[in-house]
Amino acid sequence: MNSAIRNGLGYVTLALMIVALFMVFDYVPPEAEQGIAQLIFYFHVPLAWVAFASFGIVAIAGIFYLWLGDKLWDDLGYAAAETGMVFCTLMIVAGSIWAKPIWGTWWTWDSRLTTTFILWLMYGGYLMLRASADDTPQVARFGAVIGVVAALDVPIVIASVRLWRTIHPAVLVTKQGGHGLEDPRMVATLLVCLAAFTVLWAWLLMLRFTQLRTRSRMSALAVRIAFADAALSDSK
Amino acid sequence: MLRKDLRLELRSGESTLALLALSMLVLVVLVFALDAGRVRSVDVAAGALWVAMVFAGMLGANRALLAERDNGAIRGLLLSPLDPGTLYAAKLAAALIFMAVAEVGAVILMVLFFNLEFDVSIARLAPILALGAIGFSALATLLSAITGRTRGGDMLLPILAVPIFVPALIAGVKASAAALAGVPLDSMGQWLKIMVAFDVLFVTAGYLLFEHVVGEN
Repeated sequence: MNSAIRNGLGYVTLALMIVALFMVFDYVPPEAEQGIAQLIFYFHVPLAWVAFASFGIVAIAGIFYLWLGDKLWDDLGYAAAETGMVFCTLMIVAGSIWAKPIWGTWWTWDSRLTTTFILWLMYGGYLMLRASADDTPQVARFGAVIGVVAALDVPIVIASVRLWRTIHPAVLVTKQGGHGLEDPRMVATLLVCLAAFTVLWAWLLMLRFTQLRTRSRMSALAVRIAFADAALSDSK
Repeated sequence: MLRKDLRLELRSGESTLALLALSMLVLVVLVFALDAGRVRSVDVAAGALWVAMVFAGMLGANRALLAERDNGAIRGLLLSPLDPGTLYAAKLAAALIFMAVAEVGAVILMVLFFNLEFDVSIARLAPILALGAIGFSALATLLSAITGRTRGGDMLLPILAVPIFVPALIAGVKASAAALAGVPLDSMGQWLKIMVAFDVLFVTAGYLLFEHVVGEN
């Protein structure tokens, strides 16, 4: 059942990705001023959305783990942190490639860029912690605490960095009510790309989550076997 | 809790000294790195001060819980009727005292090294640095309870703490630079608000979450 959903998601991802690539490279007209570089936008925005969604899941899973103590939540948080890190890195790289021709620089300390980079560092730290420690309930709690603390920090990071500086283009809806995507084909392409990346993300997240679940169950099983062995040798 | 604090403080003459020495070294390195003798920039001085503070704070936080771990005292503390929140508050207070001492030293050295004047602008630094120290100690105390119990923990603490500390760092450096440039405190309200928000959030988070990181299993 579970694996059927997983495989199904994989095929849907493949199909949507092909459609998305076709739309980006063949169907949608490039934006007049930025030319071909603007096409990166159709990857950058979905990547950003799934990256932030992952980090949201890390925080929520952290809260549930601390509250309920079920290993399931920790596995979910860990899987989300890993997938989020991958997509966040890709988002930064894609944005950087776009920024070079448009802003004339690979990187700038704009507020959104800085915020994203700080997030990237935080979850990098989270993953380094997980990598440097064994998979014990204690480390799971550590991960949960860091996930929660990092999420708490996000609003303050945004506030402070925004006060610091900003030049990033407005996200989708500006105050004037326009969203900068004049052509309906642009909107359609963006929506398809969003769907494609969301499914890809869900698929990867699920794969990793299942893998971690299996690992948790196996280690729980190993503990039970060890206990059973000890009981047997005691009774002899 | 208070008694624990005092005991720690008395015992830690060497640790405060180490913090002071470290802050001084960081400032010296920055003086050379930035060629501060010629630049004499107020901005550079504020930045240098905060770099010194972050490094000293990290060392202080690592030490605060290390003392408990070395002789397994943390287990005893957990078995005592103290609740983890109180334990956190005590640890936070201790870290704060270390940092305050180191900061006073660092400010004096900064004035000397960067050719500044001892005047009212230095006094205006006090509340800014105090807010920064509270936020940093709150965060570092919580995180050092985590990193102290993992392999490579000493390396992990800065990796975890610095990114989270960024908002307070930005606000603190901006406010300090403004203070050194002679701006009165009430015209940097936004930066101070960010620091206060950071402090409130992380002291509360540390208080509530500490039990999850110090527990045995």
